[in-house]
Amino acid sequence: MSLALKSAVCNAARRASAGPVSGLQAYRPFTSSLHAKQVQESIPPPGPTEIPVTEIAQRGSNQLSLQQPQNKAEYVLSTLDKVTNWARQGSMWPMTFGLACCAVEMMHMAAARYDQDRLGVVFRASPRQSDIMIVAGTLTNKMAPALRKVYDQMPEPRWVISMGSCANGGGYYHYSYSVVRGCDRIVPVDIYVPGCPPTAEALLYGMLQLQRKMRRSRKGVTWYRK
Amino acid sequence: MVSLARTIRNLRRVGFREWWRQMQYIGDAKSGRFVGSDQFNNRYYENMNAEEEIPGRQRWVDFSQHEYNASQVPPEWHSWLQHIRKDAPPQDPIFAKVSPPWKAPHIENLTGTRGAYKPYNTVKPKISAWEPQVKARA
Repeated sequence: MSLALKSAVCNAARRASAGPVSGLQAYRPFTSSLHAKQVQESIPPPGPTEIPVTEIAQRGSNQLSLQQPQNKAEYVLSTLDKVTNWARQGSMWPMTFGLACCAVEMMHMAAARYDQDRLGVVFRASPRQSDIMIVAGTLTNKMAPALRKVYDQMPEPRWVISMGSCANGGGYYHYSYSVVRGCDRIVPVDIYVPGCPPTAEALLYGMLQLQRKMRRSRKGVTWYRK
Repeated sequence: MVSLARTIRNLRRVGFREWWRQMQYIGDAKSGRFVGSDQFNNRYYENMNAEEEIPGRQRWVDFSQHEYNASQVPPEWHSWLQHIRKDAPPQDPIFAKVSPPWKAPHIENLTGTRGAYKPYNTVKPKISAWEPQVKARA
């Protein structure tokens, strides 16, 4: 008897979790940026939804405002921005800054399985020909000036991907006397790829996220509105 | 492998409209069995014919959003897509039985939006920057 009751309760709970839940409105609020007080939005409950979560998260943000041209000049400028973004994301040439074992995973990204060439990502040996730097591995105090010099030699626009926990924040060597606690103390970092080491898949996903970041750029419109 | 004959064959199977969408988003003309769609209206396909698809390309997803990325695939469909599970979530009896009721809803990667995850720290920082205190000269 009690077993049957228990299983019935469990099934009811399972059905409730599978279907759309109406009472769960404030699941996770967007309170991490400026306009949180003006726009009271939260991520919708599970179930079939018409509006994607990314669209809800964009509401009331400066980025959405930049993406919607308000006059003809902005229309032209945002189109030019999009063309620029398309050109940039189609040929990301990373400077390989392989420092440790993460570099092996970076090589895997270049190899046949994850084949970065299909995305237009080609490793360059010279900082003057590259626009992304992948810091792969432990950055030591001795290497830090060299890293900064290489970064300074790269032409604008440039991006940095910090790969692995050592480059992100020191990782295993955080309390070592000879290791920089995160390469963001030396260069500005765009994408952090976590892991020790991250898989080639994770690094490729990081590259795709960097493409996403490039697509968000509206430098022309920003300049015009100023 | 991609060839002109394969492209024309798949174009004839799926129709021009679907083919055009595939060329824009997947970059390849594919045809297969429609397996199901998830709560975000992503559609999942499978073609296990060894003559038509090479291993690794046998299961694929057609994303519903224009700005797509891999985190839009919910975990149960991910496990099917990556051949971790044999059966798709609608057909999988074990999945229907053991899916926990306390499971949180799937949310895609919201980086770059106002929903992005931002960590914060509530404890006293262990490292403090050096602020030199100059003693007054005697």
